[in-house]
Amino acid sequence: MDSNLIEMRHMVKVYPPSVLALDDVSVEFRRGEIHSIVGENGAGKSTLMKVLYGLTHANSGEIWFKGKPVSFREPGEAIRAGIGMVHQEIVLIPEYTVWENIVLGVEPVNWLGKLDRRRARELVRQKIDEFQFNLDPDARVEEISVAARQKVEILTLLYRNVEVLILDEPTAVLTPQEIPQLFAELTRLRDGGHTILFISHRLEEVLELSDRITVMRKGKKVDTVDAASTNRQELARMMVGREVIFTTRRKPQTPGDPVLQVEHLTLREDHGRVRLDNLNFEVREGEIVGVAGVEGNGQFELVNTLMGIQRPTSGRILVRGRDITHCDILERRRMISFVPQDRGKMGASLTASVWENAIMTHHRLNPNLSGWRGILLNTRYAQQFTRQLIDAFSVVVSSPRATFRTLSGGNQQKVIVGRELMLQSDFVLLDQPTRGLDVGSMEYIHDQILRIRAEGRAVLMISADLEEIFLLSDRILVLYRGQLVGDLPVEQTTPQEVGALMLGGHRTSP
Amino acid sequence: MKILIGLINGMISGATPILLAALGGAYTFYAGVFNIAMEGMLLTGAFFAVLGSYYTGSWLVGILLAVLGALLLALIFILFAVILKTDEFVTGIALNLFAVGATTYMLRKIFSVKGVFSNAGIQPIPSVRIPLIENIPVVGEILSGQNLMVWVAVVATFLSYFLIFHTRFGLRLRAAGYNPARLDSSGVPSSRMRALSLLASGVLCGLGGAFLSLGYVNLFAENMSAGRGWISLAAIILVNGNPLGVALISLLFGFSDGLGLLLQGYRVSAQFTAMVPYVATLIALYFYAARKRQMKSA
Repeated sequence: MDSNLIEMRHMVKVYPPSVLALDDVSVEFRRGEIHSIVGENGAGKSTLMKVLYGLTHANSGEIWFKGKPVSFREPGEAIRAGIGMVHQEIVLIPEYTVWENIVLGVEPVNWLGKLDRRRARELVRQKIDEFQFNLDPDARVEEISVAARQKVEILTLLYRNVEVLILDEPTAVLTPQEIPQLFAELTRLRDGGHTILFISHRLEEVLELSDRITVMRKGKKVDTVDAASTNRQELARMMVGREVIFTTRRKPQTPGDPVLQVEHLTLREDHGRVRLDNLNFEVREGEIVGVAGVEGNGQFELVNTLMGIQRPTSGRILVRGRDITHCDILERRRMISFVPQDRGKMGASLTASVWENAIMTHHRLNPNLSGWRGILLNTRYAQQFTRQLIDAFSVVVSSPRATFRTLSGGNQQKVIVGRELMLQSDFVLLDQPTRGLDVGSMEYIHDQILRIRAEGRAVLMISADLEEIFLLSDRILVLYRGQLVGDLPVEQTTPQEVGALMLGGHRTSP
Repeated sequence: MKILIGLINGMISGATPILLAALGGAYTFYAGVFNIAMEGMLLTGAFFAVLGSYYTGSWLVGILLAVLGALLLALIFILFAVILKTDEFVTGIALNLFAVGATTYMLRKIFSVKGVFSNAGIQPIPSVRIPLIENIPVVGEILSGQNLMVWVAVVATFLSYFLIFHTRFGLRLRAAGYNPARLDSSGVPSSRMRALSLLASGVLCGLGGAFLSLGYVNLFAENMSAGRGWISLAAIILVNGNPLGVALISLLFGFSDGLGLLLQGYRVSAQFTAMVPYVATLIALYFYAARKRQMKSA
C-alpha cells in the first residue's frame, strides 16, 4: 500500500450528453515502475490520464498522490507537483533550438529579464547527459528527427523535475528502428526512480517494456496484471472481451487472370536519384500481394505512380490489360480503389461531415448521386448511400452529419475503406490500411480485405507491419532502395528472410 | 550640398512616424497577431497629441495623451481579437475606420473646424541641439537639430531589438507567434503575450502619431496619417519584423517622402509627388516577391 505513488479511486467521467468515458475506475501506480495502460480506442485510457494530469476533470472520484489527495485544475499544476505528460502529437517550436524549446516558460534570466543563454544551455546539457539522451542542445528543432523531437518533449518535463511521466502512444510516430532506443531511455528513467505511465494499444511493445499492465475496456478497468505473468493472447482477450485470432484465416484459393500489371516501372528524380528501379510484377484476381520494406525504399513513389500523383520516368502500368500510365487521376479512380496511408490528409477531410467523406469519388462516378443536370448533388441519395456504408462496415457514428474529426481512428478508417470497397473496382490498392488502429478495428479491416479476396478482386497492400503482411498476403514483394529484391509466395518464406531482404537486399543463405 | 542635407533631413523626419508604427507592429508580428490597426493608432495618437498640447500648453502632456489614445484602440483590439476571439483582420479594419470617423467628429465638435486645426497655441515637440557637434559641417547639420522624437525612435529601435531577441519576454513573445500551443503548455498563456504585444504597439504608434502632429507639422488634419500605418505594415512584412531591418526600410520610405517634397520645389505637381511613397512601396514589394521566388527555385 505504501509503495503506491498514485492512487485513483472510483473515477467517473461523463462526456455530455451520455458517453461514460470512465466508469468507476480505481487504479494504483507504484513508485519506480513502468505501468502500461492498454485498451482499444475509446476504452478510456487517455481520459484516465487526462484526468490525472488536470487536462479534464472527473465527475467524481479521488486522486491521491504521495499520500495526499490532489486535484489539478490545469496541467501546469500537475507539472509543478511532479506529473508531466507527453502527448501523441508533438508540440514544439521548429524555429527554436532544442534548449530554447526546453527552457521556455522557466527561463533562467539575468538582471532585467535578459535571457541567460549560457546557463540555460548548460542546464539543458546537464539534463541530456544525466539521462543519456544523445541530443544536441543547439540544434534547431526543424532539423531533427521525430524521435529526437519526442526526446525534447520528454526532456522539457524532466527539466521541470517531474517524477511521473505519462506518455500517450509515443511509438505511434516512431519508425520501428527508433523504438528500441526510446524503450532503453524509458527503462533508464525508471531505474533512476521515475515512474512511467505508458498508454498504448500495441501489445508486443507493452509486454516488452512494462512492469505492470492495466487493461481497460469501454470505460472500465478490466484488471491490472504483472507483465511477466501474462501474454499477448490473454491481454487481447481482456481488451476486446473475446478471443482474438492472431493466426491467418486465409483460405486456400487459386488466383485468376492478372488485374494489375507493372512493367519496367522506373522513377528517376531530377537530381538523378532513382526512386523506382525497373519494377516488374503483377497482381491477379483473388490474390493479395503484400509490399514489405523499410519506409522510404520506394513504397511512397510506387503508390504515387500507380495513382497518377507522380509520373514515372519510364515503364507501363496496366489494369485489366488497359494501359493507364498516362491516364489522369479520375480515370484511374474508375478502376482502382485506393486507401491512402494518411487518413487525415489524403484519405479524408477531417473538417467535412461523415456523409461528405463517404461520397467522395462516388459523387463523380455514381450517377445516382447527381441531381439536376449533374450540377446539383442528390443529397437524399447521399444520405441513403452513407447509411448503407455505415451499416455494411459497422461504423460507430452518431449521425452521417457528424464531423469526420469526431470519429475515432478505427471508425474513420472504416469509412474510408468502406467508401473505397463500395467502388467495386477490380483492383484495390491499400497503403498501411491498419496503421494506428486498435486490435478490434484491425481485425475488422483484415476481415474486409480477405472478403474482397474471396470475391476475386486483386489487392496490393503496402504495410510497415510485417506481421500483417504475413497474415494476409498470398505473395510478398520486398522493396529495397527502389528495387524489387524479392517476390516470394508466403508459404515458401519466413519473416526472418523477408526482414533480411528489407535491410540488406540480400537473401540469407538457408 | 544644401539640397542633399535637406533631402537627408526630409528622409529622417519622413521615416520617423513609419519607423515608430512599424516597431509597434513588429511586436504584434512576432506574437502572431495580424495587426493592421497601426494606421488608426497613428491617427488617434496625432489627434490626442494636438488636443493635449493645445489645452495644457505642454507638448509632454500631448505625447502622453497621444499614447493613451492609441492605447485605447489597442485595448479595444485586445478585447475583441484576443479575449472575444473575433477575426483580427476585420477588427483591424473596423478600428481604422473608427479612428478616421472619431477623430474627424471630435475635430469638428471640440475645435469647431473642418479639415485642419492649426493654432499657435499648439506646443510642438522641441528639437534637440547638440553643442559642439552642431558646428561640424554637414554631419552637424544632420545630427543636431533633429526632433526629440527622432531620437526616441532611434532608442526604440535598439530597445525593441534587444527585447525581442535577447530577453525572456522576447523568447515568449516569438513563441506565441511560432506555436502558441507550445507556449501555453509551458505554462505561459499565449493570449497574455498577444495582449502585451498590442499594448507595445499602442505605445509606439501613439509616439509616432504625436510626432506627426507635433513634430513633422504642427497641426491636426483629417486623416493626416495618410497611409503611413499601411506602409509600416509593408515594412514589417518586407523584413519579417526585424527592428533593424524595419529601420532601414523606414528610411527608404522616408527618402521617397523627402524626395516628393523636393520634387514639389521643381514644380512637379503635388498630385504626383504625393504618390512617391506609395509607388516606392509597390516597387519594394515587387523586389521582395522576386527575391522570394528566386529563393524558392534555388
